[in-house]
Amino acid sequence: MQKFSRRFLPLVVVALSILAGASAAFGDAMLQKPEGFGDRPLTMIVPYGSGGGSDQLSRAMAAAMTEAAGLEFQVVNKPGGGGTAAIPDFMLARADGYTVLEHIDDAVSAYASGSIAENPAVDWIPLCMAQITFSQVYIRSNEDRFSNWEEFVAWLGGNSGTATMANVGKVGSMELTVMEQLESALGIEISQISFDKPAERYAALVGGHVDLLFEQPGDVRNLTDAGEIKPILTFLRERPDVFADVPTHIEAGADFEPLTRFRGFYVKKGVPEEIVSFLSAACKAGFNTDSFQEFNRKKYMHLIDSFRDTEGSIALINDAIDTYSAMN
Amino acid sequence: MEQFLTGTAALFGDLTSITIFVCGLVGGALFGAVPGVNMLTLGAVLLPFTISMEPGHAVMLFSVIYCSGVFGGAITAILFNIPGAPENAPTCLDGYPMTVSGRAGKAIGAAVCCSALGGVASAILMMSATGAIAGWAVRAFGPQEVFSLIFFGLVVSASMGASNLWKGWLSVFAGLLIATVGTDPVGGIARFGEWTLFDLHYKSYYLSAGIHFIPMILGFFAISEVLVQATNISLGVRERPKASLEFPSLAEFWRVRFTLLRSTLIGFFAGILPGIGATLAAFLGYSQALRWSRHRDNFGKGEIEGVVASETANNAATGAAMIPLLALGLPGGALTAMILGIFQIHGMEPGPLIFINSGDLVWVTFAAMFWANVAIVLLGWVQTKTVVHILRLPFRWLAPGILILATIGAYALRNLMIDVWVMFVAGVLAYLLRASGYSAAGVILGLILGKLGESAFSKSMQLMDYNIFGFFARPISATLIIFAVVALAASIIGELRGDRRQNRPSET
Repeated sequence: MQKFSRRFLPLVVVALSILAGASAAFGDAMLQKPEGFGDRPLTMIVPYGSGGGSDQLSRAMAAAMTEAAGLEFQVVNKPGGGGTAAIPDFMLARADGYTVLEHIDDAVSAYASGSIAENPAVDWIPLCMAQITFSQVYIRSNEDRFSNWEEFVAWLGGNSGTATMANVGKVGSMELTVMEQLESALGIEISQISFDKPAERYAALVGGHVDLLFEQPGDVRNLTDAGEIKPILTFLRERPDVFADVPTHIEAGADFEPLTRFRGFYVKKGVPEEIVSFLSAACKAGFNTDSFQEFNRKKYMHLIDSFRDTEGSIALINDAIDTYSAMN
Repeated sequence: MEQFLTGTAALFGDLTSITIFVCGLVGGALFGAVPGVNMLTLGAVLLPFTISMEPGHAVMLFSVIYCSGVFGGAITAILFNIPGAPENAPTCLDGYPMTVSGRAGKAIGAAVCCSALGGVASAILMMSATGAIAGWAVRAFGPQEVFSLIFFGLVVSASMGASNLWKGWLSVFAGLLIATVGTDPVGGIARFGEWTLFDLHYKSYYLSAGIHFIPMILGFFAISEVLVQATNISLGVRERPKASLEFPSLAEFWRVRFTLLRSTLIGFFAGILPGIGATLAAFLGYSQALRWSRHRDNFGKGEIEGVVASETANNAATGAAMIPLLALGLPGGALTAMILGIFQIHGMEPGPLIFINSGDLVWVTFAAMFWANVAIVLLGWVQTKTVVHILRLPFRWLAPGILILATIGAYALRNLMIDVWVMFVAGVLAYLLRASGYSAAGVILGLILGKLGESAFSKSMQLMDYNIFGFFARPISATLIIFAVVALAASIIGELRGDRRQNRPSET
């Protein structure tokens, strides 16, 4: 499936050039490319497999940046190792701005825990963050032992004192860190079961093999819309409108700054400044296109402010590194 | 039935639908048959175009590709000992020996008809019981049951393709060992990512992704086969296989009716479970045929029943895999995940409500899979009469083609060179292993099931508070583990007693 980019590149390039040409002819406010940059396609490395959240975001952003800045992209998936297998190839590429890496907050937690050596805020330059979302705790809709967070905590105390939660396995990840913060703030214990594949995680909750699920709302929207599962706790400072009847962790009595899931785009350190600022502006313009906004709405990525520019991204990453380091 | 007819009518109602159906069928079979690319490659290429298609057409196209793609991989397995996809690996064990002995037509004919029969049966089962079965499977099969099933699969399949039981087990253990490379499924710790040998220090993120089974399969079957044939040519002992076009007779199918039935049930059952799917189905189907067959002495030497067993099971898994996808929104593999994507692109979310909200579309899917499997027979008959002629090409022309396709296939998997190196190293290792009676299929089985099994085992242990006897507290997992232990004991006793009978299949 990774062949897509290579096999269809000529077609895509032709199609995109026509598109680009057409919009240029109409005199859109298209960004001006720096002298001598962007005349050949850029490579966008996606460190996860095709069809997943990162892949869909990268392809949507590549199309949006084509529309907004006339850049052409070749999207290449290099999945494996929780997003680490793609990093050497990115670091080997020339620092000329022609290689863009998509990555998520897992790179930040991996750096904080020492699994990778590259600091995303120092060794890479973030162009922008294009998706920022929060996490929730879910239960089965037909769960008869408890139907909200308060009842769950009461059940947990009165029952055996332990509950099971389907979660990702990676030590030091956003998911496990947030749960650790919650458990220590409330003095409760929830046993985390590591599922490496998302579908298995959801099946474990739906099938009754675990009591709880930790996930972001966009990823399980089909299951919540179908009424199979429902959120009982939101990790945010304030309740978002869509989940107005679900309490936040602050309301539940745990006062900590919640980590978020964020996905964004990077170039290597050393890329000339004018190219970085052009790409960063292109990312922002792409984010603001109608098509990308529509994409993010479909993915439930419009519930909180989902955009950060380079400076904002660096602040976001550094805050996250501080939180992770404090927990380690 | 009425819904099925409506679905069928929608399928063949207009010229566009029929064109898409035929293209999907031929495309799937073609991509499935060429080593290095597979139905996933085709699916990824086509996925962006489905946005502008009618939802019914898009879903139909992918369902058809799914059915014919699984079948297409059997052709190269039989002709060149190169499984088009992991689920065709057991087909090599008897399919390739049949080619060598000049019965390629029969082997392909059997693969075609059984793929179709397994697929049709599975489509019918799927139509009659989707919602209920999916709910049951997801509730009844937790990590403990999945681990027990994998354990059972490992035990009963261990000895296939090796010259004796001990070498079979050693091959499987080698595969299990290779499966441990990479990121561990519990804590996400990178294993073998960093080591020091005397003064040599090595650290790389590449191995954090582990050794993938696709380059291993390409190396173990395709590269090593090229090396074997090259040896034979240089020693002057290679005979070009006869390109026979003979189709299997009805009597031959009647002889294997129980294997057909058994493999259909095994395939259907394995397909329902998310993440298990067609590969385990094919291995289980094959090993159970080996166990119960009256012709077990011929297994591994070109027994048509072996081809029947594995090809029926892997196609039976296709229909079953749609059940958790449609009824619960849980895709079992990469291609079903793409189908999920198509539903979502068109604003539909698979889940219990899809039968109510998009019932028409569901029945178009069912009808498409049913008719695709029926059409495979025709397609297969044409292919049998044509594709076998490739064998007439001199091997010195075929070999570079095989090597190029395999290299492209290994690289295209993740766009990482590491996979190409893994493939070539695996090819040389497999060449040496095969020469000494170890089993290539065993190593691959260990690798695939090792990854799945470790992940299921660690989840089970976490759920059971690290009490290993918890497996026996659950009826399904207890039954599977006890069966596995009994089968293991029986095979060891049998091996110790009856080495003389030599009822093991010879090396692949």
